Amino acid sequence: MLHSRTSAQATPDILIRLRKSLKHGDRIWNAGTAAIATLVLVLVFSIGAMLWVSSEAARKQFGLGFVLPTADYAWNPVTSNFQAWPFIYGTLVTSLLALVLAVPVSLGVAIFLAELSPAWLRGPVGWMIELLVAIPSVIYGLWGVYVFLPAFVRPLGVFLGVLGSVPGFQSIFVGPMPESGSSLLAASFVLAIMITPTITAITRDVFLAISADQREASLALGATRAETILRVLVPYGGSGILGAIVLGLGRALGETMAVTMVIGNSLMGSYSLLQPGYSMASVVASQFLEATDELHLTALIEVGLVLFFITLLLNIIARWLVSRIDRQSSRTAGA
Amino acid sequence: MSTTTAGIAGNAQAVPSQRFSDAKSGLASRHATNLAVQAVAVLATVLALIPLLWIIGYVIYQGGKSINVELFTEMPRPAGMLGGGVLHSIQGTVILTLLASIFAIPPGVFAAFYVVYWPNTLLGVAVRSATDILSGVPSIVIGLFCYALLVKTTGHYSALAGGVALAILMLPTIIRTTEEMLKLVPRTLYEASAALGAPEWKTSLSVMLPTALNGIATGVILGMARAAGETAPLLFTALGNDRFNAPQIFRGSRALGASVPQALFDVVNQPVDSLPLTLYKYASHPSPDRVEQAWATAFVLLVLVLAINIMARSWVARQTAKQRGR
Amino acid sequence: MSSHEPPRTLPEAAALEAAPEVTVNKMELSSLAVYYGSFRAVVGVTMFVPLHQITAIIGPSGCGKSTLLRSLNRMNDLVPKSRIEGEVRLDGADIYAPAVDVVDVRRRVGMVFQRPNPFSKSVFENVSFGPRLYGIKRRRDLDEIVEQSLRQAFLWEEVKDKLHQSGTALSGGQQQRLCIARALAVEPEVILMDEPCSALDPIATLKIEELLQDLKSRYTIVIVTHNMQQAARVSDHTAMMMLAEDGSRAGTMVEFAITNTIFTNPKDQRTQDYVEGRFG
Repeated sequence: MLHSRTSAQATPDILIRLRKSLKHGDRIWNAGTAAIATLVLVLVFSIGAMLWVSSEAARKQFGLGFVLPTADYAWNPVTSNFQAWPFIYGTLVTSLLALVLAVPVSLGVAIFLAELSPAWLRGPVGWMIELLVAIPSVIYGLWGVYVFLPAFVRPLGVFLGVLGSVPGFQSIFVGPMPESGSSLLAASFVLAIMITPTITAITRDVFLAISADQREASLALGATRAETILRVLVPYGGSGILGAIVLGLGRALGETMAVTMVIGNSLMGSYSLLQPGYSMASVVASQFLEATDELHLTALIEVGLVLFFITLLLNIIARWLVSRIDRQSSRTAGA
Repeated sequence: MSTTTAGIAGNAQAVPSQRFSDAKSGLASRHATNLAVQAVAVLATVLALIPLLWIIGYVIYQGGKSINVELFTEMPRPAGMLGGGVLHSIQGTVILTLLASIFAIPPGVFAAFYVVYWPNTLLGVAVRSATDILSGVPSIVIGLFCYALLVKTTGHYSALAGGVALAILMLPTIIRTTEEMLKLVPRTLYEASAALGAPEWKTSLSVMLPTALNGIATGVILGMARAAGETAPLLFTALGNDRFNAPQIFRGSRALGASVPQALFDVVNQPVDSLPLTLYKYASHPSPDRVEQAWATAFVLLVLVLAINIMARSWVARQTAKQRGR
Repeated sequence: MSSHEPPRTLPEAAALEAAPEVTVNKMELSSLAVYYGSFRAVVGVTMFVPLHQITAIIGPSGCGKSTLLRSLNRMNDLVPKSRIEGEVRLDGADIYAPAVDVVDVRRRVGMVFQRPNPFSKSVFENVSFGPRLYGIKRRRDLDEIVEQSLRQAFLWEEVKDKLHQSGTALSGGQQQRLCIARALAVEPEVILMDEPCSALDPIATLKIEELLQDLKSRYTIVIVTHNMQQAARVSDHTAMMMLAEDGSRAGTMVEFAITNTIFTNPKDQRTQDYVEGRFG
């Protein structure tokens, strides 16, 4: 009855034995566990459904325009006009920039842990990286506001603000950055730090799962370690690495507290990275309790709905990518 | 310039092209690249570890400065007055984590049993997918869900609502851990029990579960540690309450004639603060005293969460070492 | 570094016995011992690998045949804390000398493994992997190298229309020949084979044995096999390895001679017992 994740076949005789021998209590057991399992399924649907239903007022009022890019940043509780584009922009920009910063570092760490590190160092370093995941989001935020932003982001922002006067870079580096350093750039860096361990751990596992004979084949041909890693292992692990990246992206999209504390939560009306902004999660977190009226509230719930759908989509893509790597490794293993 | 593949018998010496043996200078640059790549990987690792050391170091330093006994034993003083503590948050964290565990563990474990026994049915596949999806739902969205489900409908915020939110967050972890631990139980154990005539439910509860219990417990504890550190789902469910004092509420309720269950219900039916929630609020507070308390709270929270993580992992390491040594 | 063990009369006599016109040894091993940390895996190996001949290494499992083979292209270096004593010479030069470039050694001494291990890439990309490392980029050059290598491996006809399909989609025997072609593409001088046919069916095995006879005119081959009949069929010289009798679990060389002698008139009783199937 105990099937591994990848074995697709049930053992027929045990199943038959089970079905035949439905002893007293077993019917209840099977029905009971099935019912509870169904509840989990129902839960996921309910979340989506509840968000859909609760955001009805806003959806009816604003329709598709809610999520489309707007020329002006129309989220105005006073005039009761709510369009979420600025938050979508903020979420996408900070998450994608976080990826750009985190992926090279994560890849490097994963390569170090899986291929280069001496055995005695592997455990401790890996464990320390995983500890980064355990640190609560608010503590990232606290450290961000009082330590990281003044020490790193603000100086960087001042420097990049100079670039803002160089034509071509204008729109994304328009300064000046606020004194506090709260900005889309700050959120991007903090997110990058937070998602690195996620991407690293999965990528490292992908590398470790590649059988040793791939490395042997490459090295025996006279390839160097680096050539083996870059030309054999990375391509081999391609889908898995991609899955790791997508998972990291998903985490970044949904991250709330640390982002709320460093992103500024105000709209300056520009695309600049140096300016404060909102992400979808941070606008909900910061405005929900002070929502001025029903429409404002449902608009915020609709933002939550959009966030839910985006992360749902990403999750499906990630699972598909991981299933591809399962199929690939089973293909090559059965020579 | 090509190889003469003459295939002549005996001692024929083929003339290999010179392209590989002449490539000596190419070798030097390949070795240089090799070193460079390795150096970059090491650099990346150092870079990734810097924030860890920075954060932990700073929290301990800054928080340690403001730590005092009062923090753990006093309720907060009105803003602007110095001193006071976060006893209310400590109580809140304990209550919320307890509630979350109660709500999440039984369903999680039983759902995992179903998934392990029937992985290839439509429901089994669906539940596994649902678990994965649930683990990817942002915590603030779960907070919104619980708001609509429990706060809007009842008209007030409560620890119950917060507990449910945290439970939903814990659920995927519990299901996954239980599933993996159950799969590790040797099949022979299951078959032996079945051969003795035990019904499946008895096998599951008396044989499988106890065997897998250690691993499941570790996963549960790690899930609890995570729940204890969450803020976003509590923003619109537990809300916060700096006058919360559980023993007081309990006693007051009993004094009015409530039964024990009822009094307990009264306790959890209040809005509550938790350590991370308090941290969040104090962090942006205008009063510097509150900010100091935020750091102290961070210290406590960090130590708590890290201690649990480290203990759980080293316990796992000891267990696996023991099993290998066996 | 220990001094040379028994006077080199045995190898020399064997060489003269074998084929008087062959006087060149591609590789020479003197008193080779291989250590993993403090564990001695192989000890007391003195033999030579004649040019353009097939040399077999036989013996019961666990007696260090693979370890010995891997010391010929320094693949043992990949095992942490491994080291050797004694010498391994390629064209007279010690391959373990400090100034030696391991990458170059491994190009000149190629290896084919027990289980075929093609990369998860196309046939073309598998074979062109090695040449590409050396900066050969032009499509024309790569095409030429790939075709030549596949022809030499007796695989060209079977895959010439499938060059861009995945190497892992081939049959077991074809994959192994692909691995051989891949090794040939960087123009090695010696080819090491670690039980190359043990994962293959008899027909595929036969094909590879035929291939070896063709390859030996251009390359020097060392093959580890636990199939005695294969060693007898295929090789010119044979080395017999066995666990040392001091109880240390180290493997040692018991006898080295031309194949015919090993199988019909071995000098050592242990060799005789093994080839007569009394154990192993």
